[in-house]
Amino acid sequence: MPEPVRVTLTLNGERRTFHVPPGRRLLDMLREDAGLTGTKEGCGSGECGTCTVLLDGSPVTSCLVLAASVDGHDVVTVEGLSRAGRLHPLQEALVSLGGIQCGFCTPGIAVTGAAVLARHENAPAEHARLLSGNLCRCTGYTKVLGALKAAATAGEENRG
Amino acid sequence: MDVPVREVFRPSSLPEALAVLSERPGARPIAGGTDLMVQLRDGRAHAAALVDLGRLGLDLVLESESELEIGAATRMDRIAAEPRIRSLFPALAAAASQVGAWPIQCRATLGGNLANASPAADTAPPLLVEGALLKVASSAGTRRLAIEEFFLAPGRSALAPGELILSVVLPFPGTDAGARTVERFAKVGARREQVISLVSLAGRAVVGADGTLSEVRLALGSVAPTPVRARHAERVLAGRAPAPEVRREAAAALQQDIAPIDDVRAPARYRRLAAAVLLDRFLEEAARA
Repeated sequence: MPEPVRVTLTLNGERRTFHVPPGRRLLDMLREDAGLTGTKEGCGSGECGTCTVLLDGSPVTSCLVLAASVDGHDVVTVEGLSRAGRLHPLQEALVSLGGIQCGFCTPGIAVTGAAVLARHENAPAEHARLLSGNLCRCTGYTKVLGALKAAATAGEENRG
Repeated sequence: MDVPVREVFRPSSLPEALAVLSERPGARPIAGGTDLMVQLRDGRAHAAALVDLGRLGLDLVLESESELEIGAATRMDRIAAEPRIRSLFPALAAAASQVGAWPIQCRATLGGNLANASPAADTAPPLLVEGALLKVASSAGTRRLAIEEFFLAPGRSALAPGELILSVVLPFPGTDAGARTVERFAKVGARREQVISLVSLAGRAVVGADGTLSEVRLALGSVAPTPVRARHAERVLAGRAPAPEVRREAAAALQQDIAPIDDVRAPARYRRLAAAVLLDRFLEEAARA
């Protein structure tokens, strides 16, 4: 057996350490070692966006990230988007506006969408471009983009 | 599923990284991993050990009097957004903004895009027209090589065993007063995002006050075993204004520069046609400049 690799990171705001096989993907460390099964595996080759998490604030497909390489970094999964038991405003909007069909792509969309909102990006064309790496096989893009727009508009109003 | 590697090294200095690479012939450097992780998973690449480049400080953009240097670990999202790259090397910025989709651009690096020596690497045609040099290092020393000498065959580059790309060096374009430089990148794929290019083209030309072109440089991806310069087409265009008949002549000459194949993504015949269309669109922009 290869010797395990030590990975210490900030995961959803908490400092955590894992000992994982050298070839472990971040996706598997999150699901198998940290028990955070909100992050889903779709294609496993970086094309569908379902496994997207935030790495130092930027969205990345966790199936392509070597777990050993996130040592010392900050990772936020879909479980880390909520604050004090309240869903992220985009998650609220996805629920209230019906931006979910089967739900499998939803965690990745929520994570990428949260990163879009963190950039204070309000242009619908930019929303579509930035979300283009998240595929929905139910093809429910209209309501997803609607939820993103609603959350962006609400955020704008809150900031005054 | 874990990728099949037995060891991971996370060196915190360049000498340390180069020592590991020279001592372990089966070791492969890994930066963003957006290509290598899939290849390892699918058994198309093998590595006894991986050397993570994340702690070497290779994510940088440096400007001197005559050139811009972009560290090999600089991510595509940064290359797409960096104001100096956008203004001086717009084809490179455009290509970086079209690699994969946003979550890929936030992880994929410039060095990684080149190191795999894919004929479809989106940043290769821009770097060919921009006259890029690669700064590479091994434990034996550092050297510079022209990007034209870098790509040898699909998946094979001029990097020697144990050698690592440190940075890409871009000489500033010099433009005479009254002339304008036009530089563009475009690619064709089944959709705009997340596709491997069927054909890509970068072009750069200086457009004189009388509309004639000089210093014409054209390069294409996905139409030959490596990214290629289109020298026949360049020669047709040199010193002439891109009038419709000149554009037709250039499109015909372009066919001698490329050698596309039929594969699952597109037939060669389509790639030839699409390459001509991309060239014509570039020349149309040059004609308007």
